[in-house]
Amino acid sequence: MRAGVRAPQAARAVAVPAVLVVLIAVLAAVHLTQGTSSSDVFDVLKALFGHGDAQTLAVLAGSRVPRLLAALLVGVALGVAGAGMQSVARNPLASPDTLAVNAGAHFAVVLVAAFGLALPVLPVGGVAFAGGLLAAVAVLGLAGGGSASPRLVLVGSAVMLALQSLTTLLLISYEQETADLFAWGSGSLTVSDLRATAQMAPVVALAAAALVAMGRKLDVLALGDDNATVLGLPVRRTRVGAVLLTVALTAAAVTVAGPVGFVGLSAPVITRLLLPIAKHRVLLPVSGLVGVVTVLGADVVLRAVFGSATAVLVPTGVVTTLVGAVVLVWLARRGRSGGARRPAPAGRVGVAGSRRRLVTIAAGLLALLIVVPVAGLLIGDRLVLLGDLANWFAGRTGTALTFVLDQRLPRVLAAVAAGAALAVAGCGIQSVSRNPLAEPGLLGITAGAGLGAIALITAVPVAGTWQIAGAAGAGAAVVFALVYGLAWRSGLDSDRLVIIGIAVWSAGMSLITLLIVVANPWDSAKALTWLSGSTYGRTLDQVLPVALALAVLTPLLWARHRDLDLLALDDDTPRVLGMRRERSRLVILVAAGALAATAVSAIGVVAFVGLVAPHLARSLVGGRHARVLPVAAAVGGVLVSAADTIGRSVIAPAQIPAGLVIALVGTPYFVFVLWRGRA
Amino acid sequence: MRVLTPALLAAALLLSACGTTETPEAKPGAATGGPVTVTDARGKAVTLPAAAKRVVVLEWGETEMVSSLGVTPVGAADAAGYRTWDKAAPLAPEVSDVGKRNEPSVDAIVALNPEVVIMPEERDSALVPQLEKYVPVVVTKSSDASRNFDRLREDFRLVAKTIGKESEADRILSEMDIKLAEGRKAVEAKGSAGTPFLMADGYQQGSTVSIRPFGKGSQVSDVAEAVGLKNAWAGKVDPQWGLGQTDIEGLTALTDPKTVLFYSASEEDVFTTGLARNPVWQRLPFAVSKKVFKLDPGTWTFGGPKSVIGLAGQIVRHTTA
Repeated sequence: MRAGVRAPQAARAVAVPAVLVVLIAVLAAVHLTQGTSSSDVFDVLKALFGHGDAQTLAVLAGSRVPRLLAALLVGVALGVAGAGMQSVARNPLASPDTLAVNAGAHFAVVLVAAFGLALPVLPVGGVAFAGGLLAAVAVLGLAGGGSASPRLVLVGSAVMLALQSLTTLLLISYEQETADLFAWGSGSLTVSDLRATAQMAPVVALAAAALVAMGRKLDVLALGDDNATVLGLPVRRTRVGAVLLTVALTAAAVTVAGPVGFVGLSAPVITRLLLPIAKHRVLLPVSGLVGVVTVLGADVVLRAVFGSATAVLVPTGVVTTLVGAVVLVWLARRGRSGGARRPAPAGRVGVAGSRRRLVTIAAGLLALLIVVPVAGLLIGDRLVLLGDLANWFAGRTGTALTFVLDQRLPRVLAAVAAGAALAVAGCGIQSVSRNPLAEPGLLGITAGAGLGAIALITAVPVAGTWQIAGAAGAGAAVVFALVYGLAWRSGLDSDRLVIIGIAVWSAGMSLITLLIVVANPWDSAKALTWLSGSTYGRTLDQVLPVALALAVLTPLLWARHRDLDLLALDDDTPRVLGMRRERSRLVILVAAGALAATAVSAIGVVAFVGLVAPHLARSLVGGRHARVLPVAAAVGGVLVSAADTIGRSVIAPAQIPAGLVIALVGTPYFVFVLWRGRA
Repeated sequence: MRVLTPALLAAALLLSACGTTETPEAKPGAATGGPVTVTDARGKAVTLPAAAKRVVVLEWGETEMVSSLGVTPVGAADAAGYRTWDKAAPLAPEVSDVGKRNEPSVDAIVALNPEVVIMPEERDSALVPQLEKYVPVVVTKSSDASRNFDRLREDFRLVAKTIGKESEADRILSEMDIKLAEGRKAVEAKGSAGTPFLMADGYQQGSTVSIRPFGKGSQVSDVAEAVGLKNAWAGKVDPQWGLGQTDIEGLTALTDPKTVLFYSASEEDVFTTGLARNPVWQRLPFAVSKKVFKLDPGTWTFGGPKSVIGLAGQIVRHTTA
């Protein structure tokens, strides 16, 4: 590097931190003047210059300074952790969120709370550390350690999804015990003492210092494993050490304020923009400063916009997640399109040769498609037998049994139809995005539908079925159009589509949290239940939209099975064969979006089915969509129906939403798929 | 086929499980007292062939009302939770649990062959028309921050009429009125009338503390005001429950040195342990005067007249001590 370039860089390396420190000072000053008490700017100013009244001093000491220090600690911890993770993973998209460390730590804390253990701060930090570490190890292991591919983010996001489902399950099951954990689950700075901050500060200081001390090694690691080994770096040990440190930082932040979203993602990205060629000894501390600016800025803006009294309800993490989502979208749009070509999303393409095998599978699936829903009708809180069912069919049952079966039928049908719709949508989306880990949820469709529906439920509590379905559809359409529009840059790049989808999905979930806590904080269980996919209280007319969508759109997609095959292959083949690629993609994605949206309107937000069902289908009948589509539809219907039946019966009379059962069952399978498919 | 074998086995099992579970329907005992018609919170006239004996209740406040009127419900939502959180009217051990309050099991409700289901207005509204196909549903208002005391009487009388215990209800309501009047007298005698109070729930997670004040119009606030106290919380509250939310420095709005604090905490005790060393807390009027009173465990702040009587007793005891 020439000296002429070095000099301005060196100047920047001094100027940027200086500006950041000034900015933090200004934000901190504003932050101190905001709050729910009547102590205003002048009171605080007087107090700072030693003439304050006792009341203002107490407010500063008992509320505002603790909140400020918590923000500082969380910002530093997450900023440094994010930068460290991005270096270790050699991936600008790595972060405590996308590596599921936040979700793992949060899950562990909620688990402990749900079982009624009120632990002091330090053990909670230990629990959070263990949870975060497990999640990080799982994600890095499954994604094949350091690699620049978006696979890491996909694996991490999927694991995060699974962990969030489990957390939601606990929050619903222990409504009274965990009443305070819902808002905290999005990251809250409403601290009232310095205990957690004080106990976590040494952890953060030590871990951050150790990570900075490792700066040289991280610089070498950035050259790639082979180069680093040649240069004498113990690659494995360095990586393990750095991961442990970043997880400790994240766990400390979660212990203080809950999972504050996307700070660890956006802070290092912004730092790299400011200091493009900074070495780690500069990069890490500056990321910490940027992290502080993000957290503090979010808190200041939040309280300025909503007013301090209302802002108490809104977790700060909601705002940082929205900020981070914007950064993520920007990052994805900025990245080069194309990149490494990946193989088609087929498990074992072409193995499904023999006709006999196909016939067996078809017969087996048909049998399951009959048996599982029938079992769903029989099994529940009250077990009925086939003879009862026959009587009911003939209209000879007594009122009680008639009623039980009358209300079970729509639930079973809703589960089957929504499962099939999600599976078909998943096939289309995986093919178009050429990504075996894509699913309707990761494209923001389900979050959009959820947002639409929750917004309507909030505004009009007595909204009817069709209105809710319509709102869900509109939300899905708007959010999907947003994702598609953002991902479109003279063509649709599949990686970009998925990453932007993840960003918008996170932002959508944050907005849903915001709606719930502001509009109806006393009934979060209802919204959570709906958000985790439930067939509770469904009626036949609620099944109609999804049934219609299935009936119309599945044949439409099936008619395009050749397009799906080609799109899944690579970018060039469809062009060479003269296919109108973009138009075809649009048609497929719109159909998939409509299917997913109606599914959400029928049973709420169910993750994993759109991801897992196509996989199962491909492993049964190979990669050709003419076969995959119907098989996936059957598999999806069977899966959700079975999950629904399990959820209604295992802990009866209490119920587990179907979507959570899917997450419980789907997560291990999904982990297995990832483990088998790791490169 | 590894996947199919268990499935086929299951199918075989199911097919062999032919038969029926239904026994000829047991007609409930001869109706006594003739038909009963009540107009519930929806304004709907619900007619029962007779006052209901077999009752399923889907919210704790209503469970308490039914129990306190001397009827043991056949089923209640989250009965275990009720026994922890509402001790005003003990629930007999034989009462069946019909699932969580937010998603009670329709199967379980129907299996109890109830004559009526009593549930509050705001819980899952889709459930009402569904249940009504099988069993009459009486809907209560449950809470209304604009007129909670009148609402309580109406709900209680509605429940009482549904189960044929109207005279019992009148007795309990007048007992409540007497208790409130006596309480008021005792408070006035002590010269404590008009004492400002804050009633709040507190939650803690690590250092994160959130405080939920019961504002004007909440039922507990109405109770305290009925015995002569004055709600000091003026922050924003929701129109149904009268609940607000704030943090520790938000409490500095309370400046009257006579202010007392009531709180309920069945688990960890945020106010005395979590906040004790907080400088803002230490300057709050009730912390200075040490007028911080924890309600007995199992005091349900959204309960029926029995809860009101218990609550009024505690408030009066603490204020006149």
